[in-house]
Amino acid sequence: MNNNLPKQLAEKVLSKLKTDKVKMKPKIHFILRTLLIVLGIVVLALFILYLISFVTFTLRASGLWFLPGFGFHGVRILFTSIPWLLVLTALFLIVILETLVERFSFAYRRPILYSTIAIVLIVVVSSFLINKTQFHPFLFRQAQEGRLPPIAGEFYRGFSAPKFQDVHRGVVSEITDDGFRVEMSDGEILEVIVSSETRFPFGTGIKESDTVIILGERDNGTVRASDVRKIDDNLNIPSKNYRPQPRNMIVPHRIPIVPGK
Amino acid sequence: MEQKESEKSDEEIARLVQAGKTDLFGILIRRYEDKIMRYAKKFLFSHEEIEDIVQEVFIKAYVNIQSFDASRKFSSWLYRIAHNEFINAIKKKKREHLPFFNLDTLFPHPASNETAEKEANDRELQEMLDKCLSELDPKYREPLVLYYFEELNYKEISDVLRIPIATVGVRLKRGKQIMKLIYEQQFTQTIS
Repeated sequence: MNNNLPKQLAEKVLSKLKTDKVKMKPKIHFILRTLLIVLGIVVLALFILYLISFVTFTLRASGLWFLPGFGFHGVRILFTSIPWLLVLTALFLIVILETLVERFSFAYRRPILYSTIAIVLIVVVSSFLINKTQFHPFLFRQAQEGRLPPIAGEFYRGFSAPKFQDVHRGVVSEITDDGFRVEMSDGEILEVIVSSETRFPFGTGIKESDTVIILGERDNGTVRASDVRKIDDNLNIPSKNYRPQPRNMIVPHRIPIVPGK
Repeated sequence: MEQKESEKSDEEIARLVQAGKTDLFGILIRRYEDKIMRYAKKFLFSHEEIEDIVQEVFIKAYVNIQSFDASRKFSSWLYRIAHNEFINAIKKKKREHLPFFNLDTLFPHPASNETAEKEANDRELQEMLDKCLSELDPKYREPLVLYYFEELNYKEISDVLRIPIATVGVRLKRGKQIMKLIYEQQFTQTIS
């Protein structure tokens, strides 16, 4: 390379800079761009948080959350029933969030794994905290009563408490001779038949007003239970038929059940 | 006046350019034109391409000078612009495979003791690098060029390439190993 070329180059660049075509971008342009990226990160993080907490809520509301307690059979049903569309959407958004965060030196100077773990931890802990509040149950109630805008209402009605053929969550409303009746979140009453084949992995003491998860094929309004589990998880979603009663009026009527296998 | 300004640091001059003394940008061009030309050559562009691309680097730097944070190093910022321009030029030509994602940026790595070896091997490595450059994967080539020719430190290379500091160390170490291997193979072939 000859030595004259760089000097010619400097002059060429300087003469180009003096033309009207090349203009320095104002500082406000870069400030606004940074603000937009930060805003994008915040909005995206909040949306991911909302999605993950919503998925957790739907899993609890449908009873899927408690299925691992039923062993391999429960885990298998859980994996085939998870709202994968929402989960994959959340994962895709986490990848986008990670690429936005990686624009800042505090993130790209460290291994990607660190920022990814930080994002996932923040999202999981925050969604856990959100699920301790009445945020999703409140919106679900609003959706049931038709008070949410059409898209949000459909979203909650469609995803919040999906009904499955073989997993059911409800509150025991009545103990019967061959089992019990449960009231689902939408007010439907389901007849649960308990037999000697029914397993109770967490004990048999089921009484009225208990929240239970039932595994078993549904046939119209009847379920022949293969597994039953009482859970301590109050979503505070009043059903259409829900009428609050004073606690001392509930008769603790125990079911005469064959011990679980 | 020009003499006095030329004694200032890159960052001080950049700050003055930001404040409106745009004529001083010429000092920055003159300080870096050789370095950026040399950096471009290591990307294996042809002589005709180099001048156009380097001109574009300085024009982009001028247009975006208000985005430069004067509390940081000007050289890292300028090399980042150059890196992006070179990558874009390579992509246009589809000459080299540039991976979208590299696994070595994902995990933490133990710190590499590069500085202890540096002084003893610098000259030898520069010679090797010159001879084996075209054989090296761009992933290893660029950190080696920035470290041994442009004399940037790990943190500065991390800022230019937007990769973790630990990954810079790993790429330098692996790059040197690969380069030595290529050099030995070439040398053996020449002898035989």
